[in-house]
Amino acid sequence: MSSKADWKTILEPVNPDSNEPLFFTKHEWDTVEAIAARIIPTDHDPGAKEARAVVFIDRYLSGISYIFASADGSGFLEIDGKHAHSWRARISDLQKVYREGLLVVDEVSMSTYSKKFVALDNESQDAVLVKVSGQPKPGAVNLGTTEPATTFFQFVSDDGLPFWPAICLHVKQGFYADPVYGGNKNHMGWKVIGFDGPENLKDTMDGTYTTADKFTGDYNWGELIPVLANQSDFPVPVKSEGMYN
Amino acid sequence: MTPKIKPAPVDVVIVGLGANGGTAAKVLSEAGLKVVGLERGPWLKNDKHYSGDELKFVNRNYMWPDSKLTPRTVRRSETEVAEPYPFSMTPQLVGGGTNHWAGWVPRPRESDFMLRSLHGDIDGASLVDWPFRYDHLEPYLTKVEWEFGVSGIAGADKTEPFRSKPYPSMPLPPTRWGKKFYDACNKMGINAFPIPHASVTNGHKGRNPFNRTSFWNQYGDPSGARSNTATTFIPEAIATGNFELRSEAFVREVVVGKDGKATGVIYVDEDGAEIQQDAKVVILTLGAIESARLMLMSKSSKFPEGIANSSGLVGKNATFHEYLFAIGFFDKDIDDPVYGWAGNYISGGTMDFYETDESRGYIGGSITAASQTCHPINMVFPGRPLWGQALKDSDRTFFSHAMKIGLILHDLPQESNRVDLDPNVKDYMGLPVARITHKAHANDVAMGKWQVDKNVEILEMAGARKTIPVYLDQMTGNTCHQHGTARMGFDPAKSVLNEWCQSHDVENLFVLDGSGFPTATGVNPTLTMMANAWRCSDYIADYYLKGREMRLEQPK
Repeated sequence: MSSKADWKTILEPVNPDSNEPLFFTKHEWDTVEAIAARIIPTDHDPGAKEARAVVFIDRYLSGISYIFASADGSGFLEIDGKHAHSWRARISDLQKVYREGLLVVDEVSMSTYSKKFVALDNESQDAVLVKVSGQPKPGAVNLGTTEPATTFFQFVSDDGLPFWPAICLHVKQGFYADPVYGGNKNHMGWKVIGFDGPENLKDTMDGTYTTADKFTGDYNWGELIPVLANQSDFPVPVKSEGMYN
Repeated sequence: MTPKIKPAPVDVVIVGLGANGGTAAKVLSEAGLKVVGLERGPWLKNDKHYSGDELKFVNRNYMWPDSKLTPRTVRRSETEVAEPYPFSMTPQLVGGGTNHWAGWVPRPRESDFMLRSLHGDIDGASLVDWPFRYDHLEPYLTKVEWEFGVSGIAGADKTEPFRSKPYPSMPLPPTRWGKKFYDACNKMGINAFPIPHASVTNGHKGRNPFNRTSFWNQYGDPSGARSNTATTFIPEAIATGNFELRSEAFVREVVVGKDGKATGVIYVDEDGAEIQQDAKVVILTLGAIESARLMLMSKSSKFPEGIANSSGLVGKNATFHEYLFAIGFFDKDIDDPVYGWAGNYISGGTMDFYETDESRGYIGGSITAASQTCHPINMVFPGRPLWGQALKDSDRTFFSHAMKIGLILHDLPQESNRVDLDPNVKDYMGLPVARITHKAHANDVAMGKWQVDKNVEILEMAGARKTIPVYLDQMTGNTCHQHGTARMGFDPAKSVLNEWCQSHDVENLFVLDGSGFPTATGVNPTLTMMANAWRCSDYIADYYLKGREMRLEQPK
């Protein structure tokens, strides 16, 4: 068995324009694409359909070859040893969750509209998804309010998620993950929200990609921290010299 | 059964090579001792394995423990069956939590070492003083700041106790949201300053801090900016020629000899072979959850309840520091972007709410700091719509118009809050996993409420037009901060370790992580832990292994 430190790089970045499923049937593929288009809809900006979230999800569910991109984004890591066992089990569970979940979507669609989900208009599709999710359609987030919450676990994995929260998470990932995974085509998702992300993962490894311009350029430590003037033990800097100037 | 493979005995074997194991490895190997370090995870290389891949590092657990392989379980009371839950899942690899951490490294305060003297008995809590004081630790805090690399501005925190030296590096410039925090604090008379950061912005000790990507909290850093023991102390230990690192080595037992001393440890290597490594001194630095678990698993006729556990206190009095916060949103149509996703996670904080003010309805206090709202997939946004036009609209509107102010909850120790061995759930090795039993104290809930409300006030002063306060309900273990499971003290009946983190029961067993912390402190604990690991490693090299002993007196 090889250590995670020695996993080989295999394959190439996923082609977002592929229409060949590795896991889904043709009908499942079309249904996932239609659901994705309701989770992040197309408006004056592209949505999850254009960003190819369906390709992202299909590759993820196809086995354990597309789990971790190599650091530089040139391909994918060949998972080995105990991690291969656990990821196979994880993906196998998710495959079942998707297969069963997609059947439910069509069942609800057939029983309500006597048509498969992919044949419905947007409004009817949303009505089906409201039934599948068991909750009202999320409303807009408004300014001018305070909305308390309680503490929650912030690191989002998909272990144990039922179909609806799983596909919502995966569509969001397919919209915003690095394009190596097959979604976020041409950084489409990032452009929608104004995230100036890296051109590719390699650029994050060597200093090419920088966010230095998102820091405050015009500042003076003595003004930001008035107490500095009241002490004489240490020198008072004006600015931080170095990499961010 | 004794394993057949027995490499040559060494002076010291260290189990777990994170912040504290890395510190011990450096100090002891530089003192000329022969040291072997065993790490259950891999040895990833920052320049080869790390990049800004949000999906891989934040969602798919590339660097985090796989909860299918090494689960943990949690329950709130004795009568419940614990459920699997990824509670405080610190990365398990060479460098440990210093691989992924944001790297807040504030100094502790004098009050942190004497909570019981200050407050007496608090109902339901097991407050005790530490067996030493801030002054004992100060020289070591300075050593860690300079050797490991910490950036900050000396004199900027008016509440900081004595420091003997400034910092070796300037902090990063303020982010846009950091600037909002400073401006609001100055309007409110709050002393804001750059939270000391385990990173350098200069060429200190030959480092090249080129990473300006903002992929920081939970990501590995491919550059030399972040202070990570895997790129600092551990290579320095290897360079002495006295330190051997063995990764993918899972220690399952500390072995006790007939004389009651530890003889060494048994570990399982990557191919499943069992190996016994003997040593004159055994050091545990697995983190307070896994160190306690290993001690409890190391049962023998002399220690049927686990090694070094004659007090019955191993695993008890566990504290975990929940991270609480409030989010503030600005108006995209009116306000300039604050770029909540940019910066190396923290930028500006305060210690003004740290010391007890009983008018607030609780004792103690916490560090407060402005921080990132993170990247697109995992934007920190409680109430983010799950799907539909509302999701797209709110992401488009708030992604660059959000900021966060958080705090590290200084939770009180309670004897019933503890780590023990789960009777049902096993890890991939077939060994019982750590079970957490934890219920928040009323003081914890009250502190969280007051401090989160204060964060909302600061956000409103900063111009936020919507706020989302996140209060404490129960601990979710959302930090990697773990303490108290083998508390230090002078009385062997009331503590597991002495003032050098040396077992009262087993004189050559030392536990040099947060396990020894009698109380949690309200600051991020790693600087205090590393300084303490250094202090105790000095004792091992200068006293214990020279056959000498020194005892501290009970501080007044």
